[in-house]
Amino acid sequence: MARRRRQRSGEESDINITPMLDIVFIMLIFFIVTTSFVKETGIDPRRPVAETSAAKPRGNILIGVDTNGFIWMNKQRIELNQVRQLVEDAVNENPESSAIIIADESSATGVVIEVMDQVRLGGVIEIAVAAEPEAT
Amino acid sequence: MRRKHRESDEAIINITPMLDIVFIMLIFFIVTTSFVKESAIDMSRPSNAPPKTEKLSEVIFVRIDDSGQVFVRDRLTDIRAVRANIVSGLAQKPDASVVVAAARDADVGILVRVVDQARVAGAQQVSLVALSE
Repeated sequence: MARRRRQRSGEESDINITPMLDIVFIMLIFFIVTTSFVKETGIDPRRPVAETSAAKPRGNILIGVDTNGFIWMNKQRIELNQVRQLVEDAVNENPESSAIIIADESSATGVVIEVMDQVRLGGVIEIAVAAEPEAT
Repeated sequence: MRRKHRESDEAIINITPMLDIVFIMLIFFIVTTSFVKESAIDMSRPSNAPPKTEKLSEVIFVRIDDSGQVFVRDRLTDIRAVRANIVSGLAQKPDASVVVAAARDADVGILVRVVDQARVAGAQQVSLVALSE
C-alpha cells in the first residue's frame, strides 16, 4: 500500500496549489475592484496650489486645459463642443464618475468655466479643479 | 476496482484552463490598474436653471478682474489677505455664502487660491460665477 502510494505521487506531481489559487483569486478580485479606467488627458500642466485639496478617488473623467486655452481629453486636443459628448460617453460607462479639470495655473478662467458648464450639461454634477496640496 | 474508488473519492476536474484564464485576467488587471489619484478642490457652479436669488447682503462677493487683482466686497485686497477679509465678513454674517466672480482672462491659479482661502476661512458654500464682459 505504502509502496503503491509513493509510486502514484511520483507519477503525477502532487503539489498542493490550493493556497496559491486562493491568493491568485484574492489578487484578481482586488485588481478588478480597484481598477478604474482613467483616461489620461495627455498634458501635465502646472497645477495651482491649494490648502484644502483632497484626493478624489472617484474622479475618472479628466479634462486638461493648457496655458493657451486648449482643451485636452483622452490624449488628444478637442474642441469645447466635443466635451459634452465625451462626458456623456464616460457617464454611460461608469455612472458614478466625477470630473476633474486639470487646468494650468495661468490658463484663463473663462475656458475653465465654459468646460465646467459643458461637463454639467453632460450629466456630471461633481466637478473639481485639480490642485496640489500645499507642501507644509 | 481500487482505481474507480480513488476517482470518485477525490474529484479530478481539470482546472488548468480555468487557471490559464484567471492568470491572464490577473495580469491584465495588474497592467491596466493605475493608482494615480488626482488631488483637487471641489468647485460648485450654480446651475443655469432658475437662479436662486440671494440677497446681496447675505453673500460675500469676491471679484477677480482681468489682471488678477482680487476685490473682496469691492475693496482691493492682496491675495494673502483674502482669508482674513472673508473671516471678518463671516464674523458679521455667519450664514453668508461666498460668491467668487472671475473675469474671463483671470488666471485659474488665482481663482483656485481664492476659493481655497474662502474654504479655509470657514465659508459654508463657495460658488462660482462668470463675469460677463
